[in-house]
Amino acid sequence: MNVVTPAMLGQVIVSGILAGSLYAMVALGLGLIFGVMRVINIAHGPLLMLGAYTTFFLTTHAGMNPFLTVPVSMAALFVVGVVLQRGLVFRVVDAPELSSLLLTFGISIALVNLAQLTFTSDLRAVEYITGSWVLGGLAFSKPRVIAFAFAVGVTALSFLLLKTTRLGKAIRATSQSREVAMVCGVDVGRIHMLTFGFASALAAAGGALLAVIVAIQPEMGGVWTFKSFLVIVLGGAGNYPGALLGGLLLGLVEQVASLFLTTQLSEVVAYVLLVLVLLVRPSGLLGGRQT
Amino acid sequence: MPPVLVVEGVRKSFGGVAAVNDVSLALEPGRIYGLIGPNGSGKTTLFNCITGIERMDAGRVTFAGQRIDGLKPWQIARRGIGRTFQIIRVFPELTALENLLVVTRGAHGEAERRGRELLDFVRLGPLAGEYAGNLSYGQQKLVEFVRMLMTDPTLILLDEPAAGVNRTLLNDLLDAVSRLRDAGKTVLLVEHDMKVVMGLCETVFVLDHGEKIAEGPPGAIQADERVIEAYFGR
Amino acid sequence: MKRALAVVALLLLAALAAYPVFGTGYGVRSIQQIFMWVALAGSWNLISGLTGYVSFGHVAFFGAGAYTGAILVASAGWPWPVAALAGGAASMVLAVVIGYPCLRLKGPYFAIAMLGLNEVLRALVSYFEGLTGGGNGLSLPTLDAAVPIYYVMGVLALAVTAMSWLIVTSRFGLRLMTIREDEVAAEAMGIDTFHHKLGAFLLSAVGPGVAGALTARDQGYIEPISVFPLAVTVTMIVMALFGGKGTVFGPVLGAVVLFIAQEIVWARYPYVHPLLFGALIVMVVLLMPRGVLGLLQQRYRLPRTI
Repeated sequence: MNVVTPAMLGQVIVSGILAGSLYAMVALGLGLIFGVMRVINIAHGPLLMLGAYTTFFLTTHAGMNPFLTVPVSMAALFVVGVVLQRGLVFRVVDAPELSSLLLTFGISIALVNLAQLTFTSDLRAVEYITGSWVLGGLAFSKPRVIAFAFAVGVTALSFLLLKTTRLGKAIRATSQSREVAMVCGVDVGRIHMLTFGFASALAAAGGALLAVIVAIQPEMGGVWTFKSFLVIVLGGAGNYPGALLGGLLLGLVEQVASLFLTTQLSEVVAYVLLVLVLLVRPSGLLGGRQT
Repeated sequence: MPPVLVVEGVRKSFGGVAAVNDVSLALEPGRIYGLIGPNGSGKTTLFNCITGIERMDAGRVTFAGQRIDGLKPWQIARRGIGRTFQIIRVFPELTALENLLVVTRGAHGEAERRGRELLDFVRLGPLAGEYAGNLSYGQQKLVEFVRMLMTDPTLILLDEPAAGVNRTLLNDLLDAVSRLRDAGKTVLLVEHDMKVVMGLCETVFVLDHGEKIAEGPPGAIQADERVIEAYFGR
Repeated sequence: MKRALAVVALLLLAALAAYPVFGTGYGVRSIQQIFMWVALAGSWNLISGLTGYVSFGHVAFFGAGAYTGAILVASAGWPWPVAALAGGAASMVLAVVIGYPCLRLKGPYFAIAMLGLNEVLRALVSYFEGLTGGGNGLSLPTLDAAVPIYYVMGVLALAVTAMSWLIVTSRFGLRLMTIREDEVAAEAMGIDTFHHKLGAFLLSAVGPGVAGALTARDQGYIEPISVFPLAVTVTMIVMALFGGKGTVFGPVLGAVVLFIAQEIVWARYPYVHPLLFGALIVMVVLLMPRGVLGLLQQRYRLPRTI
C-alpha cells in the first residue's frame, strides 16, 4: 500500500476534476433523455463512440484540427439522434420501461457492430497534443485540460439553453410533467425529438474530446453508458445540475481509488459505488425524482 | 372499544411542498368514514402513508394496537389493511380470477372457490377467465374491489370508489360497503361525490392543503365555514 | 389434441435421445448447442420475462459456472458432472450476492446494475489471476466427452423448461407476473415482491451456471473473454424475446429457430451477427413485443401456460 503524500492527493484531485468534467457533460445528455422521456438510453455510449470516429475521420482525412471538429461531431450526432428518436425510440416512450430498455439495448448492439464492420476493430488514435503542463508540482495533462475547457463550455452553454431559451424551458417543463407541458401548448413530440438529438450531441462532444486522449475502438462506449448512469444516480434522476456534481464526484472517486487499487479494480469500485448509492439513497445523493 | 386505526402527526413533503401536514385521526371499528377535500389536499398521499407506499417524514400510525409506520406495504397489507386505488390497478395480463387468486396464500381449491364466489357477488362470474386488461372500466373497478376483499381485511381504504362508475354499479358497490360495515369491518373512503359521502359516511374528515380542517358528522361538515371556504373560496 | 401433442413430444425426445448413435459429430455439437440455448434463454425468461426485471448481465452466471467447473476439474480433479452441478450452485450463490442489493432497486435501476456486472466480473477474473489463470485462460485435462455432455445438456434443457412450466402454472408464477404488471399494487395486496424477485433470480441463475461448467468441460479451455461475452447475453435475450418472453415454450422456440438461422448466417456472413441480432431485438420490441408465441396466444386464444 502506498503512502499518500499531499502532492499525490493534489494530483488526484486535479485528475479527478479533469476527468469528471467529461463524465458530467456526457451524463447530462443521458439525464435529459431520462428526464424528458423516461427512456433509459443504453445506446448512449455507442453514440459517444460515433462522435469519436467522426472526429477521427475529419482529422485524418480532412486535416481538421481535432478540437474544431467538436461542433461538427455534435451536429452530426444530433442528426443521428433525431433520426433514431423519430424512427424508433418514440414508439416506446409510453410503453413499459422494459421495452425502451430492450429497444435501446438492441440499437446499441447494432451500432457497435456497424462500427466494427465499417471501421474495423483496429485501434485508432488522433495525435494532436500530448504531455502535461506542470504547475505547482502538479501535472495537468494537456489534452485533458483542453477537453476540460470544452466540456465546461459546452455544459455551460447547455445550461444556458435550458434556463433561458424557450426550447430549454419547454424541455424542462416536459421533464417535470408531460401532461402539464402539453396543456401549456408544448409540442411534446418535437421536444422528445430535439432532446434526444441534443443528448446525442453531448455524447458526441464527449467522444470527440476523448479522441485525442484515448484509443478509439467500436466498443469504447459501453463503459461510458454505465458510468453515465452512475453519474445520474449520484446526482439524482431529473436533477440536471446534480449531474455536474455527480460527474465530478465520480471522477474524484475513481482517481482516489486508483491510488490504492489497480486500474482493473477501479471499474469494480464504480460498480460498488453505484449499488451502494442506489441502496442507501435511491433518489440520488443530491435528491431527484424516482422512476 | 379501542380504535382500529390511529394516525398521529403524519407529515409528508415532496420537494419542499407539504402534501400532508401534521394530520391526526382515529377510526373506531365497524364504522364508515369519509375523507374529503379539494383536489391536491393530500388525501391519496395520506392513504399512501398509511399503507406504507410512501415513507412518512414524521408521524405514527397504529393499527389494531400495533405500530405499522415503517413497515413495508406488503407487511401492512397482510396485517389486514386493504385498499383500492384512484387509478385502477388491476393486473391486466392476468385473468379476473387470477387477479383474485394471486393475493391469497391458502389452499388453491379453497381460494378458487372463494374467488369465484366474490366474482359472482359482483356479477362478473362469466368473465372469470377473461384477461383483466380486456374488461371495461367499471368491470375492472369491480375486480379491484373484490380483489381487495380476498385478503379479508379488517380496515378498508377506498380511493374514489365512485369515480367513473354508473349509478347502478355505484349502488351495488355502496350496498356492498354497507354490508362490510355491518360485518364489523371499518371503511375509510376518499370521495368527491358528496351524495355518496353524505349518504354513507358516519363521520367525515376534511383535508385542505394537507391539513385536517374539520371532522364530524356529514351534516355538520356541510355547514362548516372552513369547509365551504376550502372548496369555494371566500 | 393434448394427447396428440404429448405423443409428438415423446417421439421427439426419443429421437433426440437416440441421435448420437447414428448422427454426425457436427450434428451432435449443434443439437447440444441448441440444448444449451434452450436452457439459457429459458432461464433468462424466468427473471426477465416473468417479473419484467431485465437482466442484462445474465452471462455473469454462465461465466461464473464455467470458471467454477473448470477450476474444480483442473485443479481439484473433480469429475465433470459433479463440477457442473457445483457450477450451478456457485451461480446461485452469486445470484444471492448480487440479487440481495440489486433487486431492491426499481426495475430500470436493476437493469443498469446488471449492465455493469459483466465488466466487473471480467475485471475480477483478471485480478484473481492465480486462481483463474487470468488473461491466459484455464486449460482442462483433455477429454472427449461430447456425447455424455450432449445428454447432460439435454437433461438441463428439459429441466429448465419443466421448471418454467411448473412456475408459470403455479400461484408463485402468477405473483411473479404481478411484479411485472404493477409492482406497487402487488405490494399493496400483500405480496413480498423482494423475496419473490430474489427467488426467481436464484432459479434463473442455475441453468446458466451448469451450462457454463459443461461448456468449459466441452471446450477444454476457457478465458475471460470466452465466457463473459456480451454476445451470450444478447443471444439469450433475442431468443427469449423472439420466441415469446413470459411463456414457457417461447424461449425453446426462439432457441431452435434462431440457432438454426444463426448457423446459416454464420456460414455466409460471420461478421454481421450482432448487427442482425440487435436489429432483430429492435424489430421484435416494436412489432412483436410478445414474441411469436405471444402473438399466437392472442390470435388463437391459447392458454397462457404454453
